[in-house]
Amino acid sequence: MAFEATDRNELRSRLEEYAETGDKELRDEIVASQVGLAEYLARRFKNRGEPIEDLIQVALLGLLKAVERFDPGRGLEFSTFATPTIVGELKRHFRDKGWAVRVPRRVQELHLRMGTVVNNLSQELGRSPTIPEIAARAEVSVDEVLEAMEAGRAYRFSSIDAPAGDDEDRVASPAAAQLGEDDTGLEEVEQRMLLSPLIASLPKREQMIIHLRFFRGMTQSEIASRLGISQMHVSRLLARSLAQLRDRAGAEAAPG
Amino acid sequence: MSGERNGLEERDEHLRTNGDVRLVVPAAPEYLRLVRLTAAGLASRLGFTFDEVEDLRIAVDELCFHLLGDATDDGELDGRTMDLIYSAGTDFISITGRTDLSGAVPEPSDLSEQILDALVDEHEVSGSQGMITFRLKKQRES
Repeated sequence: MAFEATDRNELRSRLEEYAETGDKELRDEIVASQVGLAEYLARRFKNRGEPIEDLIQVALLGLLKAVERFDPGRGLEFSTFATPTIVGELKRHFRDKGWAVRVPRRVQELHLRMGTVVNNLSQELGRSPTIPEIAARAEVSVDEVLEAMEAGRAYRFSSIDAPAGDDEDRVASPAAAQLGEDDTGLEEVEQRMLLSPLIASLPKREQMIIHLRFFRGMTQSEIASRLGISQMHVSRLLARSLAQLRDRAGAEAAPG
Repeated sequence: MSGERNGLEERDEHLRTNGDVRLVVPAAPEYLRLVRLTAAGLASRLGFTFDEVEDLRIAVDELCFHLLGDATDDGELDGRTMDLIYSAGTDFISITGRTDLSGAVPEPSDLSEQILDALVDEHEVSGSQGMITFRLKKQRES
């Protein structure tokens, strides 16, 4: 990650300006200019059973903290300062996931493989397969299938995907996305709930999945084929969305 | 106190005669994994499909969330436990869970209701005498 001297000087002067002014726009510009560093570090943590997009989000949060805490007066290069901060954030992400991290590699691999197995079986059978059917096809035990289902699930989500707000720990600002065109006929009550700030704060695809599953009553397999993704992915996204909704509902309900 | 104890003994008796499963875990998010896994294990024995098992797991999460209430999310335990009973019929599973309640019974949001309606056949959350209880029932489709 070598920078040209001019880039380095440019970065330094912007960091100095930010340290003085605390200008949020400037901060965001600095973060944007250093996304490469965050992505580079995030990729060093791939192959641990976490989607790379999630890792990049975590790394960006670390980057944001580094920008905010950097003290130009100490004479350190920014990348020297930021790297341990970002790596620390990534490590904390894995540690916070608790048991999920300690899921054996064999189970994580089965989790990934099950995406295909479940899709194929669903097509062959014309219905969702039972757990013993999945086990037989994957040539593993029922218990291993259950473990593998759980392996994609044990997320504990912080506010990393939350929209930018007063909370300085929040980064990125997913647009309050609109639903697709074929959803214009929503019932009013659906409309109200779906467009609540809580749901609108989710990424667009997750809003769509919540809508299809809970308001349209589609099954996970139906949603998977409609969106062209695996059912395991639908399952992960659902779990993640709900966890985030709960976190935020809790935060909003908290007094003060 | 003694009333509660008798309640538990009655439930233990029920376990012995009906093959129900009882799980008691600390009231903390880290233990939800065990709660879900137990539900998934029993449901798979009853021939629930992958879709149905997934729905059950999400519903269990959603309801346990009400039980956990403001339980700390940073790994510190506050001494409370969640006490769950899983009952398996020929084509359904029902789960009751309860824990000590400090403060008011949480009012499930419209969204939470909507989610649970889509996932399970029956669900309710109620509270009284320092306890909060939930119950859910999910029928196998075919």
